[in-house]
Formats: sequence, structure tokens, C-alpha cells
Amino acid sequence: MTTGISLVRENAQSMQPPRSLWVPFPLGRPLGKPNDKAFQHRVIAAALALLERTAGPVLEDYPEDAPSVRIEESAACPVSFGNTQAQENTWTARFQDELTQMQPWYELGKRKRRGRSLVGVADEPMENIFSKLGELLDKKALPTADLKWFKLAIEDAKVFYIEALTAQPGEYSAQAIEQILWHKTQLGAGLKVFYQRFAATPKLAIMARMVASREAIGGSTGEEIEINDITQKEE
Amino acid sequence: MVRLADLPEYERHHLLEKNMPPLGPLPWSNNTKPLAEKRIALITTAGLHFRGDDAFDFADPTFRAISIDDDANDLIMSHSSANFDRSGFVEDVNLVFPINRFQELLADKTIGSLADVHYSFMGAGLMPKVYEKNAMQVASLLKQDQVDAVFLTPV
Repeated sequence: MTTGISLVRENAQSMQPPRSLWVPFPLGRPLGKPNDKAFQHRVIAAALALLERTAGPVLEDYPEDAPSVRIEESAACPVSFGNTQAQENTWTARFQDELTQMQPWYELGKRKRRGRSLVGVADEPMENIFSKLGELLDKKALPTADLKWFKLAIEDAKVFYIEALTAQPGEYSAQAIEQILWHKTQLGAGLKVFYQRFAATPKLAIMARMVASREAIGGSTGEEIEINDITQKEE
Repeated sequence: MVRLADLPEYERHHLLEKNMPPLGPLPWSNNTKPLAEKRIALITTAGLHFRGDDAFDFADPTFRAISIDDDANDLIMSHSSANFDRSGFVEDVNLVFPINRFQELLADKTIGSLADVHYSFMGAGLMPKVYEKNAMQVASLLKQDQVDAVFLTPV
């Protein structure tokens, strides 16, 4: 038997899993609040209680909101994204400048999290990742020869920034971090250029939605794609 | 908050496009034992795995195994969607994969036991039926492990 969390009530209502607890939390936060054991236990208890039900499908609404930090009250970003780096002529130079600024905050964040870091899916030094991404942008190229590397490289780059931006103690609004990443950093600006290039390349347009979020673009990043089997996507 | 009314139109439209009919007749299981005797497994669609594992591909119906002996703090994420928050998971693995919370439930005897192995899928880019073969395999592995109930978390 199963029970679980649903983040989009309408999706659970349509598919009708046997037992599901809808929670009013942001996508990416199914248990509501990081580092709040009591809060997480209340969510889990509510989902486990559904196992007792004798008939279904059960779709229960969880009554408690995760108190979100208002953007204006979110902890200050440790990095000043001034104009000096923007004056560099190349993406490569701007990326290296920004990476140098971010590095100490990333290291601090990692120490604060007792060595835990999500960076590493690409298994490559961050400096190399930023060099390669910068070169591609400067050459107005797309990483067509190694799309898998690109997916992992941008995942690492984004999470490196998230960890650096949240290095100082404080409460962070997920929305504030997203806004800084996409609208204040050179990385965000560069990824949006990649997004536009992928979107404008018919055979690779499917990749665009993976590069930038809908919030970053300010709208849809493409219609829903229905891939029905793995061989189909490789055609 | 994922209340559709609170979201911009493009976001509401996208999420509603993911509505789909049930996969088949309701797979209902009756509750046959109290929670304090149940063996529980966790399954997430967050695209979690360890550094030595293969990362998830763009659209990938395979799964990764997470042993109860592994340190969940070493889990990383290679999910293809750019549209969910990662900053919470950066702070706390339990926000997405609440293994420490379930270990606490085991310690205070709220649940009977925890499965030896838990599972991670990457929920993006594929229609549900593409996952069927791997999902059936995981179901079979859970049965072998005598799991009574599964706790599911999305992102």
C-alpha cells in the first residue's frame, strides 16, 4: 500500500492515487520546512494516517502552511554584483570574475553544512565548468557534442551558486534566491542566452526548458512534451 | 505556495497540462496491520543518487537504490526540471527524502521497521507508462523486502 505527498492538488485529483496528502508548499519542498523536525513530523503523520482509511481514492488537504520568508525580509545576499565584472568584454572573463567572488561563500556554506554539498554531478572542477560555458557563449555556440555534460554542468553551476548565496546564517526565501540567481548574476544571464539559443534551434528546442525556469524567462518554456518511450526521444 | 490561484497564468497552464486520467482501476490495498508493525519504504521522484551512481539522463525512467546503511547526507540531485526550488534540499535532505524522520519514528516505535533499500526516480519528461517496467521491478523488490507500505515524495 502507498501513501504520499502531492504538491499540485489538481494533478492528484485527476490521476487518483490511492492515498495522497496535498500540501500547500512550494515545488521542491514536499515536507514544507528545512531543518524543522516537528513540522516535518506533522506532515508525515498526516500522510501516514491515510493508511488507516478503508476506502479510496483519498485526497486529503494538509491544513498548515509552511511559513515562508518574505522576499524583503530574506537574509542579505553575501555577494555584491557590481558593475565592474559586467564591464569585462567576454563571458569567459565575467564568469571567472563571478566565480572568484562566489568561491569563498560556497566554501563557507559547505563548512556551515558540515561538509554537505550537492555540487558534483558533473564530477569536474567548477573552474573548468565555467570556462567551458563561457567559451561556448563567447563563440555563440551550443554544446551539441555533449548535451549530457551540459545538463550536469549547469546543474552543478546553479547549485554551487545556491549554496554560496545561502552561506550566511539567516532565513531565505526560495523566491529571493531564484530572483538573484536569474536576474542579478552573470551565470543567470548566460544561461538565459543558452535558453534562447536552444529555443531557436528546432532539433534542440526540447533542451531549452531544462536550462532556465519559467520564472526566469517570465513565461512558458514550451508546451508539455509527451514522450511515451525512451527510443522516441532519441529519434 | 502551489495553490494554482496564486500562480502566474503560464505556471497554472503548465501544471494543469499535467493532469491525466487514472492509470487503471484503483490499486487499493486494505490496511491489515497497525502502523507500529508496518515495514516502510521511501520512494522519491526527486532524482536523488550518490556521487558514484550514474546521473539521471534528460528523460530517464530508471531508478537508483538508497540503502538504509548509506549516509543520506551524501545524496545529490540530477533532476531535469528547472522549475522547482533546490535551496531547501541544500539545507536539509529530509525536506525531500525524510529518512532521518522515519528513523526517529522507528526509534520511538511509531513504525515497525524500515526497508533495507529505498528508491529514487527522476520525475520529468516522460509519460507515466514509460516508468511501468521499472516501477514493477521496484514493487517486486519491495515485496521481497517484505515492505508493507511506501511513503512517496515528489518535488
